[in-house]
Amino acid sequence: MTYEKTKGGVWTRRQALKGAGALGMGLALSGLAAPALRAQEKRPIRFLNCETGKDTLAFFARMATEYKEKAGVEVIVDSVPLDEAFTKITNGIRSGTPYDVANVGFIGQVLLLAEEEQIVPLNELTDEFKWGNNILFPIDGKVYWYPFDYNLALIYYRKDLYEAKGLSVPNTWDAFAGNCEALVEGRQKGCLFPIGSNGAANWMSFAFLWAEGVKLFDDEWNVIIDNDEMKPKAAAYLDFMARLYATMPPGALQAGYSDVLSNLVAGTVAHGAYAGRVYEAAARDNPDMGGRLGIMPYMDSAGKQTAVSHGYDGWVVLKTDNTGNAMEFMRWLTTDRMVDFLHSAPVHFQPARLDIYDDQRWRDNALIKQFGAEIDQMRNLVTDGSVVLTSIDTQGPRPDVRPGKVFESFVMPEMLQNKILREMDSAEAVAQAAAKMRDVIK
Amino acid sequence: MTRWLLPGFLGVGVLATLLLIVGPALYAVSLSFYDMPSLTADPVWVGFAKYAQVLASAAFWNALWNGIVYAGLAIVLQVVLGIGFALLLNQNFIGRSLLRGLAFLPYLLPTVVAVLVFKWMVDGSLGIVTILMDDWGLPPIYWFETETASMVSVIMISVWLWTPFVTTTFLAGLQTVPGQLYEAARVDGAGPIRQFFHVTLPSLRPILTVIILLRGVWMFNKFDVVWLATGGGPLGATEHLPVLSYREAFALYDIGSGAAIATLSFFVLMVAVAIYFRVFPMEQGK
Repeated sequence: MTYEKTKGGVWTRRQALKGAGALGMGLALSGLAAPALRAQEKRPIRFLNCETGKDTLAFFARMATEYKEKAGVEVIVDSVPLDEAFTKITNGIRSGTPYDVANVGFIGQVLLLAEEEQIVPLNELTDEFKWGNNILFPIDGKVYWYPFDYNLALIYYRKDLYEAKGLSVPNTWDAFAGNCEALVEGRQKGCLFPIGSNGAANWMSFAFLWAEGVKLFDDEWNVIIDNDEMKPKAAAYLDFMARLYATMPPGALQAGYSDVLSNLVAGTVAHGAYAGRVYEAAARDNPDMGGRLGIMPYMDSAGKQTAVSHGYDGWVVLKTDNTGNAMEFMRWLTTDRMVDFLHSAPVHFQPARLDIYDDQRWRDNALIKQFGAEIDQMRNLVTDGSVVLTSIDTQGPRPDVRPGKVFESFVMPEMLQNKILREMDSAEAVAQAAAKMRDVIK
Repeated sequence: MTRWLLPGFLGVGVLATLLLIVGPALYAVSLSFYDMPSLTADPVWVGFAKYAQVLASAAFWNALWNGIVYAGLAIVLQVVLGIGFALLLNQNFIGRSLLRGLAFLPYLLPTVVAVLVFKWMVDGSLGIVTILMDDWGLPPIYWFETETASMVSVIMISVWLWTPFVTTTFLAGLQTVPGQLYEAARVDGAGPIRQFFHVTLPSLRPILTVIILLRGVWMFNKFDVVWLATGGGPLGATEHLPVLSYREAFALYDIGSGAAIATLSFFVLMVAVAIYFRVFPMEQGK
């Protein structure tokens, strides 16, 4: 072997050319060999997760290891906040590297993906189970997602304060506002319902409207919130919310999920809305508070109707050349590991599948035992047909992107802000909201 | 070897700029000519329709005005305070080095940390500021509760975060001003204020011109502070063009409108920069 001398320690041009040539040849040969190697192994499953709680992330790490051992298939889990999920999913599709399974939090997005034939029906996974009310959202009989929780927004109230003041659980707006007013004392405020232009307000602050029988669309997708029947109800709701606002702590106009959660757990507000995470956070951070908090559905003005707000989440399987593997994986996840997944946020992940509630393995969880009565109450809310179970993004005669647009454009929180911040006449605020809705969905 | 060095480095730079900056920018501009209800939908050519739609919307003009107010006030405060701090830190006193280090600290903080900490500090129930004010018998401040208060709050956060940039740059410039100029001014009877206006400012005019230009462009395009602090609310009071563009593209999935807003924002900035250079021309090379 001969060696070429370098000049002052720097490669000669010939050496550089030879090196580059050898590298290029190596890459070319490895490229030729790669398809054969790839064909010998199953492709990894790319999983987009939006549940970013510490225990849930730990579950997915364990799950990936277990599945690799069981099926020999790697599961690559990417975790992002729910707000970013749809952009990640569509970017993946557009860049030619789609996820195989993804977490979705809006039924309108499921519909969009189904319309574009980017996801596959999951009836083979969903048909064998019984589900709670208004959760599968089938399109022409096909179910395109696997909902794993309800995440209902419920009203939390302080049982101990109610007892001390001799208050009873309210079933009308007037009684509820009266209780909020009665419980303002020093730093303790009456309630906190977000009013800002954010997802928290959309989720937590409008079920009073649904209980009152307000609908945003008719069967032909016409906006009807300002028609003769709905407008007085919506305006009355705004007057009621303005009354509640007077009992809220400063910051309601920008409050998000964490603000409501921390205020409820710290005991600085007597009422607030959230899903089961409040009990989990209370058990962890302020154990005494867990036992002092009760739950109730949202009520109407006359005491005749109750409602809760959807906060559902589910998984979709994308149409890729790896769909077969992804479906196998989903079958394993939703049967063998479903309870373990739900236990990663035991009260917050309120099951959408009714068989889970009777599964002893699920019930054996310490938090589920501790809050058993409240969980039974939550179960009743998704099986009792008289409880209105809806949300802004599920309004309308069938799943559609239009209510999703109303949700994302924050028309409804802006209606509240027009009333509370600008002290606009309630009827005028409703009329403006209706006009904007028509503009958004046109 | 040397013969190839300059074109080689230049080539890499040009290639990287084309691939990573010019290419994506042109692609973004091209999206503004299409109607795309999502990133996966087939784009439909609509020409300038998205521009017409955007320019006809009140939200665009509101966002443009908000951007001017936000960037304008934030720059004025950053520059005035930054120069003030730089002048202080240019004096001789014990602990000067430590204070110079501390003064730069906010600039090192990630925006998300600074904004979230601020929001927690002024939280209406649990914030340390709220509780201290309550303890002292003062009424609560509604930091994000009105349209004006929200704008003031995001400006305050921005000033706190980026004043150190002005301070540090101006401080570095101050140390290049020859001492003889100040001596001559003193001999002529000039006090500290006249020295500042007749020696310091003229000497540092080129630096100041660049500082204001850079901070202006950065503030006008600043997305994270506003998004994290207010999300553009309440009622669009703090929604400026970057937030509006993001909301259109990634919340309402009107990719074309989002791209049109971003493109218009780019042109607004270009015009502003051109006027700025006309009014404050950079020094000619000697």
